[in-house]
Order: sequence, then C-alpha cells, then structure tokens
Amino acid sequence: MTLPPPLALTMGEPAGIGGEIAARAWAALRESGPAFLFLGDVALLPGIPTRTVTEPAEAAGLFREALPVLPLPLAAPVRPGRPDARNAPPVIAAIERAVALALEGRVGGVVTNPIQKSVLTAAGFRHPGHTEFLAALAPGDGPPVMLLTAAGLRAVPVTIHQSLRSAIESLTVERIVAIGRATAAGLRQDFGIAAPRLALAGLNPHAGEDGTMGTEDRDIVAPAVAALRAWGIDARGPYPADTLFTPQARAGYDAALGMYHDQALIPVKTLDMHGGVNVTLGLSVVRTSPDHGTALDIAGQDRADPGSLIAALRLAAELAAHRQRRECP
Amino acid sequence: MTQSASLPVIALAMGDPAGISPELTARILADETVRAAAGLIVIGDLRVLRDGARVAGVDPALHVIGPDAPLPEDLSTPAFVDLGTLDPAILRRGEISEAGGRFAAENFRYALSLAVAGHADAVSFTPFNKAAMRLHVPGYEDEIGFTANFIGFRGAAKEFNVLEGLWNARVTSHVPLSAVAGLITRDSILENLRLTHAALRDSGIQAPRVAVAGLNPHAGDGGNFGREEIEVIGPAVAAAQAEGLGCDGPYPSDTVFVRARRGDFDAVLTMYHDQGQIAMKLIGFEQGVTLLGGFPFPICTPAHGTAYDIAGKGIAHPGAARNALLLAARMGAAQRRRRPAAGGSLLEVRAAMAA
Repeated sequence: MTLPPPLALTMGEPAGIGGEIAARAWAALRESGPAFLFLGDVALLPGIPTRTVTEPAEAAGLFREALPVLPLPLAAPVRPGRPDARNAPPVIAAIERAVALALEGRVGGVVTNPIQKSVLTAAGFRHPGHTEFLAALAPGDGPPVMLLTAAGLRAVPVTIHQSLRSAIESLTVERIVAIGRATAAGLRQDFGIAAPRLALAGLNPHAGEDGTMGTEDRDIVAPAVAALRAWGIDARGPYPADTLFTPQARAGYDAALGMYHDQALIPVKTLDMHGGVNVTLGLSVVRTSPDHGTALDIAGQDRADPGSLIAALRLAAELAAHRQRRECP
Repeated sequence: MTQSASLPVIALAMGDPAGISPELTARILADETVRAAAGLIVIGDLRVLRDGARVAGVDPALHVIGPDAPLPEDLSTPAFVDLGTLDPAILRRGEISEAGGRFAAENFRYALSLAVAGHADAVSFTPFNKAAMRLHVPGYEDEIGFTANFIGFRGAAKEFNVLEGLWNARVTSHVPLSAVAGLITRDSILENLRLTHAALRDSGIQAPRVAVAGLNPHAGDGGNFGREEIEVIGPAVAAAQAEGLGCDGPYPSDTVFVRARRGDFDAVLTMYHDQGQIAMKLIGFEQGVTLLGGFPFPICTPAHGTAYDIAGKGIAHPGAARNALLLAARMGAAQRRRRPAAGGSLLEVRAAMAA
C-alpha cells in the first residue's frame, strides 16, 4: 500500500503565529498523521526537529522524526508582531508553490496559514484576499465558496466581507443559487455526501414572518430555495436563523447557508471557538485553513492555540481522500 | 412583623392553560427554594391549578382567597387568588383558544395591578400562547406592548434574555434587518446601556460589565466593512463610559458571546435580533429567563413557550420557570428597598384596574 501524498502547509505571515502553530501541530500529529510539509523559512520553526526536502514524496517517510520543510527563505529578519513588506514575495511564493504541487498531484491538498493582507497589498499583491488568489491559481467550475466547520456544523456565508447594509443590498436569487449549487457540488466532491441537504437561513428575524418583518425572505430567499430544488438539490428554507443551529436542527441538514457573514460565523464560533476550520469549496485543489487570523498581538509568546490548524490539517486529509476516491475509483 | 414581610412579594400569573403553564405553576408553588425566596401571590383558577398539580404529582399548601378578599399579611404560605374564570372541563390540551388567551390575559392584568398598587414587588407569568392572546386581544404584539398599554407606561422598556451569568439585550428586535442600520443611533445604544446596567444592578451585580457588539463583520474591520462602528457605536460606548457605566466595544459579534461566556462580561448588547438569539439559543437559552425591564417593576418569565406537544404529560422541566421566579425575587428585593410595600386591600386593586 502506498502512502497518500502529504499535505502542503504554507507559512503565512511570518510575523504572525503561523510558525509556532505549525510546530505544535507537527508535535500533535507526528504519530497519527496526516503528514504535511511546511512551505516556508525554517527559521520560523524553532524548538522542533526539521528536515529539508526537495520532493514532497520524501515527507511521509520522515514525518515521525521531523517536520519536513520545503524551503522558501525570507528576505528580512522576522520580528514577531511586526510584519515586513520585504517578506511578501516568499509568503506569496509559498502559496503559489503549494497550489502548483497540488495541481500536479504531488501533495494531497493545500492548508494555508493566515496572511496579513495589508502587508501583501503594499508589496503589490493585487487580489482582494487569500481565497480569491487561490481561485485565480486553481479555478474550478463555479465560484469559490467559503465553508466553515465546527463541531457538528457546516456553515456557508452567502455574502462575506462587506458591510451589513451592502450584504443585504447584494443578496439576489442568482447569488444564493450560485453559492448553493457550488456548496452542494463541493459537499459531493470533497465530503463524499452523495445527496447533500442544504438549509437556508432567513435574512430577517423569524425569517420575516411572511413578509411582515422584511420582504427579502419571501422575495429572494424562498425563490432561491425553489430554484435550487429545480436543480435537483435538496434545499429547504428559509428558516428562522435563531433556531437553525440547535443540535436537533443540525441533524436535518449537511450545510446551512447564512445570508451574511455573522449569521454563519456566530454559530461556528459559539459551538467551537478554537477548532473551527475554513474550507474553500469550488477550487480545483483541496484547500483548508485555520479559522483565525495572524494574531500579531500574541505572536512569539508561545500562547497561540494550534487547535484550529490541527483540525484544518485533519480535514484537508479527509477531503483529499474523498477526491482521490472519486477520481480513481 | 412576620418573617415573610421582609421578603419580596411576587405576583405570579398563570399563563396559557392549554400548555404546560398549569403544571409549571404547581411545581413552582411546591418548590422550597422559590417559597423561601419570596412571598407568592398566584393568580388563576383553582380548578386549573389543581389539574396542573395532579399532572405534576405535587400538592402545594395554599392560602386560597377570592378576587376581592383582603390579602393575607403572612405569605409564608403562598396566596392563591382564585378568579374562578375558567372551567378546565371546557379546555382541550394543546389547542389554541380564545378562552385560554382570556384566562392568561386576565391573570396577567391582575398581577400587574397588584404591582402597580405596590402589593407586589415583581411580576412573573408562566408561558402565554401568542396566537391565543391575539384571539382575545386583537392586535396583540407582545408582553411589553400589552403591559405598557395596561399600566399606562410611556418610558423605555426592553426585553432581556437571561442565562445564568450571561445576559443579552438588543437595540433593535422585530424589525427587518435592512432597517437596523438606520435604527441604531448613539442615543438608542446609550439608552439601552443605561437600562441594561440598571437591570443588572437590580439583579445583584454590583459593577456590571457590558460588551457591545458591532454591526458589521469583524466589527467593521477598521471601517473597511461599514462605518457604523466608528460613527455610531464607538461614540455611544464612549458616552456610556463617561457616565460611569462599565462597558466596552464594539466587538466582532461572532466571538463576543464566547468571551462573555468565559466570564469577561456579564451582558452583551447586540444590535439586532438574530445577532444575540443565535448564540443564546445555542448556549441553552431554552432554560433561560426573559426579563421585561424598564417598567416600574421587574417582570420575569421562562424563555420557552407553552410546549403544547408535552402538555399534561408531567414531563415539563420547571428549570426556566423556577429561574424566572428566583430572578424576580432578587430584582423584587431591590425594588422593595426602593419602595416599601403598600398596605390596603385587593378591593383597591380592583378599583385601580377598573379606573
């Protein structure tokens, strides 16, 4: 039996917590796996044994002894909490390299540490965010979809990083249907769920109570549910959001679609503050990331919790295995 | 002076009779902790209560009086005001009816009158059925509107959701989400912070710490995802702090409940309905208490509903109703210190109701 290809973990913002949580994740996973290799500067990994590799395939065999590193040296010295724009090129190169390896099948999937977008932007990075950059490098058939997992919950925000006002204005039947279809496709492909069940949250309190508390649920969300069903997807809703995430309700669907960022994020964080994972569905590669930021305020203090990164690595391995089975049955 | 005279007095109205209200009322009356915390005046129909006691398998000692009889001075045994308005034989469990709505509304009016007249320091009620209330009171919206209308209250009253150690108040509630950004103002947030502080202090928290949620994702991310945090919420928090109210924010709403729950704050003030309700219902708000605060006296009720599906089976958990009574007792004690209980008879109460 051949070992599955390892995962690629990017270094992320060098002044953040990416290096320390990578080291802790290795310590936690060295016996059990999944094996991964670190794409970045070895200086970010003090206190654990590391081994430089040139081929991802070398990683699986030595993972128990040391964290395999595919070196991408930084240009400027790292000062925790103080990002340096001179390091932007290797940070970007790590992401590009990881995606290239995944597209070639030499790694099973990409796990990304958080980046500090403002620093990359100052250095000439022209993408609105991490996910958009990955979508440009490894586009799929539809839009990329941000799916968050927590204990017993998968949640997808239909609108993401925009003000609540603009999120409401940009909510259309077309947008919900596109995200719903991409979510269902991703659940089939990456999660191995043959007939995914989607539950859509209403935008308004009590899902608008038949239009008496806002008309969007009647005029936008309900038609989107009907359209998704016409595509053969088991979509239901709109449901009042405040009872959609209880254990009983969660048993009835595979993913919930929230109409705005916090509608999806509040239940994820409340259920699982440190173990949540961010998955990007709809790419041509598997991609997960921890559900937190660069945490510049606590970087270098040995306080960062690796729970979310560990969960992201485990989930990436599962998703990669599902894709593998679909592609080579 | 009897021992119970120093205790707060709670007027407890029996709620919708077709649900679990009768059995919950009976269980509360039989609860030693509740009886030790407050003097109780329960309003309802004795036949309905007896039915509930039989379902619950309890037999609480009661001092039964008629609607116009003098109130007993000693409430160490709960007083039961038997309005005699509902024959349980005409009721069907689990069915919405005008008779059920009328029963709950009449009991509640009587309890409010007792508090208005100073005979009770706090009011509590077991769950109402909104549809039944609407059959009896056309245009019935919620208990806040009903109470304000009945007692002629013109001030600001708010619903608070109370879990052990974690409160939630919201600036806007049952309005379209698209209206929220226009409704949150420096003044409305400040007013909510004042009310929240007052209620928390009355409940026994000396120096409340309130977290204020932002409106936008990541609390606006420094203005990148909306400016309400910078232009409205932040200045409201600063104004409240200048008044000496312990509060901070705006915080990203996806993690603020996690922080509050681990003890950083006593309460979270949210900007809209689902922002607080999603987290509170996940944390276990079904066992929580709804407090109607801002009225001249506190009103507490269990957060759950009438539970028609399990009514009459004797399996309804009394935890939330019990918590509602205990919160009413704590807040009623603060009320009693401010305004000593009145004397006089229920005849005056009836007169006040008629007027």
